[in-house]
Amino acid sequence: MHLAVSLLSAAAEAQPGSGLDFAGLARLVQKAETAGLDMVLVADSAPAAGGDGPNGQMPFEATTLLAALATVTSRIGLVAAASTIAHQPYNLARRFASLDIISHGRIGWHAAMAPNSREAANFSRPEGFSPENFRRRAEEYIGIVQGLWRGWDADALLFDQAGGRFHDPEKMRVLDHKGAYFSVRGPLNVARSPQDAPVLVLSGLPEPDLDIAVRMADVILVDEASVERAKARFSDLKRRIAACGRDAHSARVLMTIALDGTTPPTASADSLEELFRSKSCDGFNILIPPQAGAVDNFSDRVLPELRRRGLFRLDYEGTTLRSHLGLAGGGHQ
Amino acid sequence: MKLGAFLWATGHHIAAWRHPHAHVTAGIDINHYIQLARTAEAAKFDLLFCEDAAGLREANVGIASQTSRSIGFEPISLLSALAVQTSRIGLVSTASTSYNEPYGLARTFLSLDHLSGGRAGWNLVTSASHIEAANFGATGLRPHADRYERAREFAEVVTGLWRDTPGQASGSGHDGQSFSVRDPLDLPPSPQGAPVMVQAGASDVGRDLAARTADVVFTAAQTFEEAKAFYDDLKGRLAAYGREPDDIKIMPGVAPVVAATEAEAQAKYEELQELIPDDVGVALLSSYLSISDLGRYPIDGPLPELPESEGMKSRQALVIEQSRRDNLSIRQLARHFAGARGHWRIVGTPVQIADELQARFEGGAADGFNVMPSYFPGELDAFAALVVPELQRRGLFRTDYEGHTLREHLGLKRPAWT
Ligand SMILES: Cc1cc2nc3c(=O)[nH]c(=O)nc-3n(C[C@H](O)[C@H](O)[C@@H](O)COP(=O)(O)O)c2cc1C
Repeated sequence: MHLAVSLLSAAAEAQPGSGLDFAGLARLVQKAETAGLDMVLVADSAPAAGGDGPNGQMPFEATTLLAALATVTSRIGLVAAASTIAHQPYNLARRFASLDIISHGRIGWHAAMAPNSREAANFSRPEGFSPENFRRRAEEYIGIVQGLWRGWDADALLFDQAGGRFHDPEKMRVLDHKGAYFSVRGPLNVARSPQDAPVLVLSGLPEPDLDIAVRMADVILVDEASVERAKARFSDLKRRIAACGRDAHSARVLMTIALDGTTPPTASADSLEELFRSKSCDGFNILIPPQAGAVDNFSDRVLPELRRRGLFRLDYEGTTLRSHLGLAGGGHQ
Repeated sequence: MKLGAFLWATGHHIAAWRHPHAHVTAGIDINHYIQLARTAEAAKFDLLFCEDAAGLREANVGIASQTSRSIGFEPISLLSALAVQTSRIGLVSTASTSYNEPYGLARTFLSLDHLSGGRAGWNLVTSASHIEAANFGATGLRPHADRYERAREFAEVVTGLWRDTPGQASGSGHDGQSFSVRDPLDLPPSPQGAPVMVQAGASDVGRDLAARTADVVFTAAQTFEEAKAFYDDLKGRLAAYGREPDDIKIMPGVAPVVAATEAEAQAKYEELQELIPDDVGVALLSSYLSISDLGRYPIDGPLPELPESEGMKSRQALVIEQSRRDNLSIRQLARHFAGARGHWRIVGTPVQIADELQARFEGGAADGFNVMPSYFPGELDAFAALVVPELQRRGLFRTDYEGHTLREHLGLKRPAWT
């Protein structure tokens, strides 16, 4: 079973001003790391906040926050949301590639796929995007980002001081992408990721767009559904992943759930176990409010129960996010 | 005297990475940067400064592969990591107005400012390279004047957003030539009023934009006269924007090579110079001249006549001026610029270097310097250990931080609206 926690996804419900400063957030993520969770997802609320008041949760933008968190943790995966409207693909690919090196291979990019007209209006696109346009553009965008992440071979850097060869010119590739929405030459001026490429997380996809996820994503976040519906969806997704020529295990499907702090731990563990054993997901993305103690409840009470039942590993087995998720890449399996 | 520690790859000398004491894996080693930041902070530097380019620095992969500059950290993520690993030093990153949107950039720098407790600065550049342009569309590098017009509007929107963060007066939308923005930012106001605005760009329009918006100007000058002329010109432009001369700190780059004796310093410099391959030197020179085929001219002959650049006008002029003044061949010029890219270089003892810095500072040609160590970490360590104490002994440089924010270190007023 794979386990992630999402900070701030409950933003809308929390009180303004109840958010944590960096030290508080760092403690929360360190706690999740001590618990051995696969990853923490950090939302980026600028667009969603609607601009009608201070973001009571967070004085930080997600990628800058992730860089800082990377220096105060050592094992847990760190995933930030970043929108395809707020950044040019080259800049975004580069930011995440750099984060991945800062964190020694623990970074993921969560590309939310729902268009947000409010956001476009702050990025010189007052007319917004039609859903169809947004989807095609996002797909092209993600392809560019993944292509840029693969612009340097793993053994491209030579550091040959005496011979004067810093890198092997044969092992650097220009992307030369020319598409309907973007034209990007590449390569990135950041070295290859220690886990080959940051992990791509997709969520919020309506049925027809799941095609994008099964082709491109490393992690697909799906909403909670009845056991029957979740089972059908899970087997359908795995079948579609395989139909793209990918190993069915090469993308993890995590179900996003909000655990109610008042439910007894055994009952919580029971429901996670039932969903997992019925083959309706590869694990869970647990929403927690960004408050001190929020992770404790899960990690001190529910997690030991899951471990006792043999559902969750006792400790990290690798060092990169891909290795936590059991995905290929990085050579640190 | 204000001091910046300018971080760049394995060092500012183009052949730094080949030096036996350079940290050759700098571009993939975050701990190396944390160490550099702590060294600079312990020496009480005002700020760390990161250059940037959204693309390779060199188009020819054969040349690029002989330098360490094709890979490195993206500076905003780098400085965000350093923000929580340091407590006092300022953190200035370069970012382009040509390939960003003001809402996103204003938000990102404000976030860095919060992570660091008010120590962030943004070095505004307009990006002069074709290589970068090709990563952002098929239309190529836009003309110099267009880039600066976009930069002017960009800076106006960013400062407006910083002013109008929630908790301050409510923001109104912007609907301009290049950008439209509807909402205020969703982050609390800056701990230092607003992140510090830095600018590098020395053409006439570049200077005007600096006079209008910058708190700090980073510049390249070789001689005292050049530095003094730039200083007086820029300070003279401030009144037109209702600003005082002291509202801007001018910090030219300086590339010191320091050792206990002059002979040792000279030997250290020669050792680095020996490591420059000719084709790398000429390619670097070409890029400052915005000419792609300098290699076809005889290397021991003079610089050919060149058309005025649409790239970096100020740097091109500086190179041409130097070649005429000193009657240098292409090879000589290439080797000269490979060390510090047109910035001022001083090779000598701590006393000699302090003398030179003092003369420019007291002579009214600089408010401080952006220090460009030739290789890391050794030359930053040497400057911190040898030159900084000499400057402190003379009462020219602080012995401890007086405040906590970058504005406080630089002696800058908080913005009028705070
Ligand atoms: C001292 C100095 C440092 C600069 N550093 C950068 C840099 O790191 N990245 C960049 O893209 N441009 C840099 N530039 C270029 C300018 O900011 C500007 O973008 C370019 O168009 C040249 O402008 P100018 O003609 O006004 O000098 C620098 C310029 C100067 C003078």
